[in-house]
Amino acid sequence: MGNWEWPLVIFTVLGQTAVGMIFCLWLTERKRSKSGAAPSPEYQSFIKSSVLVSGLLLAVAMLASLFHLGQPLAAYRALTHLSTSWLSREILFFALTLGVWVYLFVLSRKPGTRLTGILALTSLLGLLGIISSALIYTLPRVPAWNNLGPVLFFLLTGLLLGALVIAALGRKALGQAEMKQTVCLALGSVLASLFLYLFYFSGLKVTPEGGATAQILFASPLFWLRAVVGWLLPLILLLVTVSKKEKPQPGLILLVLTCGVVGELLGRGLFYLSAVGIQILGLL
Amino acid sequence: MSKQLGFLHNSEKCVGCRGCEMACKNEYQSDASVRWRQVYQLREEDFALPTRIFISVGCNHCQNPECLRVCPVGAYSKREDGIVIHNQERCIGCKLCTMACPYNRPQYNTTVKKVEKCNLCYERLDRGEKPACVAACVPEALEVVEINEELDYKTGVLKTLPGMPDPKITNPSIRFIGPKQGVQIRRDV
Repeated sequence: MGNWEWPLVIFTVLGQTAVGMIFCLWLTERKRSKSGAAPSPEYQSFIKSSVLVSGLLLAVAMLASLFHLGQPLAAYRALTHLSTSWLSREILFFALTLGVWVYLFVLSRKPGTRLTGILALTSLLGLLGIISSALIYTLPRVPAWNNLGPVLFFLLTGLLLGALVIAALGRKALGQAEMKQTVCLALGSVLASLFLYLFYFSGLKVTPEGGATAQILFASPLFWLRAVVGWLLPLILLLVTVSKKEKPQPGLILLVLTCGVVGELLGRGLFYLSAVGIQILGLL
Repeated sequence: MSKQLGFLHNSEKCVGCRGCEMACKNEYQSDASVRWRQVYQLREEDFALPTRIFISVGCNHCQNPECLRVCPVGAYSKREDGIVIHNQERCIGCKLCTMACPYNRPQYNTTVKKVEKCNLCYERLDRGEKPACVAACVPEALEVVEINEELDYKTGVLKTLPGMPDPKITNPSIRFIGPKQGVQIRRDV
């Protein structure tokens, strides 16, 4: 609170991206398994690389989270208060996700293996991890966080960046319909994020601390940079992509992904920076 | 929990000398980066008449402690007498409790990279002594009391003062005796 909290920014954004990727892979695999089409070598290599990238992102995310702790070597203890602590539950779900991901990775290396089930399990655990992450911040002390906002924003970050990474990795292997589905998912996430933020702002002014958070955000040039790079540009570029019949150009997808990553990193940094807690109003 | 111990702070007697803060620091030799107890001067504009009011706040040993709820390592526990104890041995320095407490009482020690807070001098209490802050308070503005309905029904005992966070958040075990406001003499021209 009141700081950029970079380890947490990296942990949450990368972790959510990894889960979003696995979720998008599950959607694609589910569709393919229904159609019963034999996977092409290109598609198999896309699955392998996507699974690998998602695991690497998850591992980097979990490693980054350690830098937030005063005692990183004692991080394992964070699993010991599952009864009431959402932080404990978050670590449990992300550790389980990483554990199941190892199995997913092994299966993804075996050609012809159906991955729908294991992808569903991994993304379910990951989604529970994201929800637990968000519920850590629903603190009665911090009105800007004590609502459904963190849960929705964290899930939307995962969907947006996950879909964009999958679209970037699958630019050759994915069919036109699959690509369109993935890009539409990203577009829906940007739109939902933008409208939810407007709704969220209207609720912030209810309390003095929430109002202070809104004031910090509006006064920060970084917030406006986030609005342009994280919402406006992806929105325009994705609308252009969806409106065209042919497959999107790889360069365009990479540009939207870059904008999305910068926007989400800035947005998450501002999430921590702008939080104002209820406190004793007095002179020290 | 058989009872709930807490603090009774008499704002009428407190002169803001910070002797309680110093006694606490002296007792535990705590690091410069933390203040287990802190004296605040409440904002004059929060009162009907300009009034200089000091309050001394350590951990409030809340009945619904947010620190205990959010801590991922179970470093916090609540004793039978209601004292919320922080076991620094278990702390991993995630700082979540410092975000959750509306009174800013768990504080991050930047030297040992762990959180610490007032444990209401429970070792001293168990020996039948007063906590260091209470023992050191020259105007006797601070005392340890049992928080119960009988206390809350007493005239002049307040659950909160202007500028304090809403007590509904954590049910803090601190009560105040509010300051007597000065008499305003109006002279008609």
